[in-house]
Amino acid sequence: MNAMFGSETIRIFLVIAGGVLLFAGTAIAILKWVLKKNADHAWHAFRGWLVMIPLVVGAILLGRVATIVFFGIVALVGFTEFARATGLYRDWLVTGLVYAGIVGLAIVTLISPPDDPAKIGWYGMFMALPVYVVAGVLLAPILRDRTKGQLQVVALAMVGFVYIGWMFGHLAFLADGRNAAGYILFLLFSVPLCDVAAFTFGKMFGRHRMRPNISPNKTWEGSFGAFAVGMALPWVFRFALPGFGTRELLLAGVIVGLGSQLGDLSISVIKRDIGIKDMGTLIEGHGGVLDRIDSLIYVAPLFFHMTRFFVGLE
Amino acid sequence: MESWDYRPTADFDKSPIEKLRMFPRQPDMLVYALRFVVHLWLRVYLRVWHRYRVIGRERLPLDRPFVMVANHASHLDALSLLSALPLKRIQKSYPAAAKDYFFTSMPKIAFSAVVVNAMPFDRKENPRDSLALCRQLLETPQHILILFPEGTRTADGALATFKPGIGFLTAGTNLTVVPCHLDGAFRAWPKGAFIPRPRKLTLRIGEPMTFASFNPDKEGAKAIAARLEEVVRGLAS
Repeated sequence: MNAMFGSETIRIFLVIAGGVLLFAGTAIAILKWVLKKNADHAWHAFRGWLVMIPLVVGAILLGRVATIVFFGIVALVGFTEFARATGLYRDWLVTGLVYAGIVGLAIVTLISPPDDPAKIGWYGMFMALPVYVVAGVLLAPILRDRTKGQLQVVALAMVGFVYIGWMFGHLAFLADGRNAAGYILFLLFSVPLCDVAAFTFGKMFGRHRMRPNISPNKTWEGSFGAFAVGMALPWVFRFALPGFGTRELLLAGVIVGLGSQLGDLSISVIKRDIGIKDMGTLIEGHGGVLDRIDSLIYVAPLFFHMTRFFVGLE
Repeated sequence: MESWDYRPTADFDKSPIEKLRMFPRQPDMLVYALRFVVHLWLRVYLRVWHRYRVIGRERLPLDRPFVMVANHASHLDALSLLSALPLKRIQKSYPAAAKDYFFTSMPKIAFSAVVVNAMPFDRKENPRDSLALCRQLLETPQHILILFPEGTRTADGALATFKPGIGFLTAGTNLTVVPCHLDGAFRAWPKGAFIPRPRKLTLRIGEPMTFASFNPDKEGAKAIAARLEEVVRGLAS
């Protein structure tokens, strides 16, 4: 099981990551110092990647437990950003309940089901946990005999837990599967590549704005470009997806190509409604953790269940 | 349908270090948790390494906001005073710390904000604004302010003259002041020593005082400072 974490797949991804970083770094350096263009934005984003990639790859190389703990921490930080942005953070009880729920997700991902110690990861409880957290969150106003603003608190907590904790948590649960590193690295690589494709195609051919209220810079041209790249990526990374036939590769392409854009837009809706630009300041050149994982949150559970249904994870 | 009322925290777009530097700091559960754990261990350390003893703990007026004033001999002082308070109150207790010393570099800011929960006190350029901040802080129930009216650590172990700031803060008000004397801190960790030595620490807590009858002017403030200095001196012997 842990052998997957030291496999050939990882080595190929490491080479790709190193190559992309080297290429991007050189390109930005040429823009900045040789052509004297203003590449500050790209430079900051690049430095952000220089920190993020070693952290993620390091966690995956360390194995299953480190990977699950790492994604658990990312979910906690992401939810904190969400709670601070929406004002939910002022309610320490409900915020604490969601924190406990996210920690609970990490725990059931780590342990085996009590009735079947041979399995890794308590899948049944992972799927059932939203029930308990939602029930617990609904209990908070009742225990305190409060009504004012409670629908907002309860609803924000549910979105926070189900969307940022649980849906994103599927990425960590992939670590319990047979081809853990392959699936996780496929998602971690292809989703940002789709974002880059949307940006690049939009810059080059963008004419028609897609959703001017939500994200004024996104265009239909960029979106189609990203979708096309997303459809191609499963074939490019086919070595990481053993057991995937044409049907699964097509589905994975649709999920990555569409899902990454929808995830991006979903967080943008929240940001525009609150009236903020970024969800945080933690990652240089990227904003907050949520700004970086927005697409992954949407893609991870869809990919998880598609793979589980058609290929099987264990 | 009316739109919801989102209110992002006041430090929302600040970087982590800026968040710690600003005051009043916004609630941060990670900081609260870290502070709690550190203080748990700090209490063990003080008990074991310094045989720390608190005399007169029952005099603390925990039902209202108050100011603790004490002599200042070492970096252990603020931590010792915090350790005399109930553990659940450390999140609401703020030692005033020199802005020009404790809020200058990243590690110092992180330590002052997370562990000490320090209030940055501008003793050089804007002591008036800092006193106003103290006043504002003490309007919240359960808040505790820790002040060292000497303004700096003693160089020779002797008690220096109290500065009148504490007088301006309390003259003509019902604000409660608790005079304290920490004994042994100068021997344990004098200015310039690298690490604390295992010397005995004893904190004596005096009777709470108020200064409603004093005039809120320079004379009144000086009189209060002198009075408190006398009481702290008395606790020492």
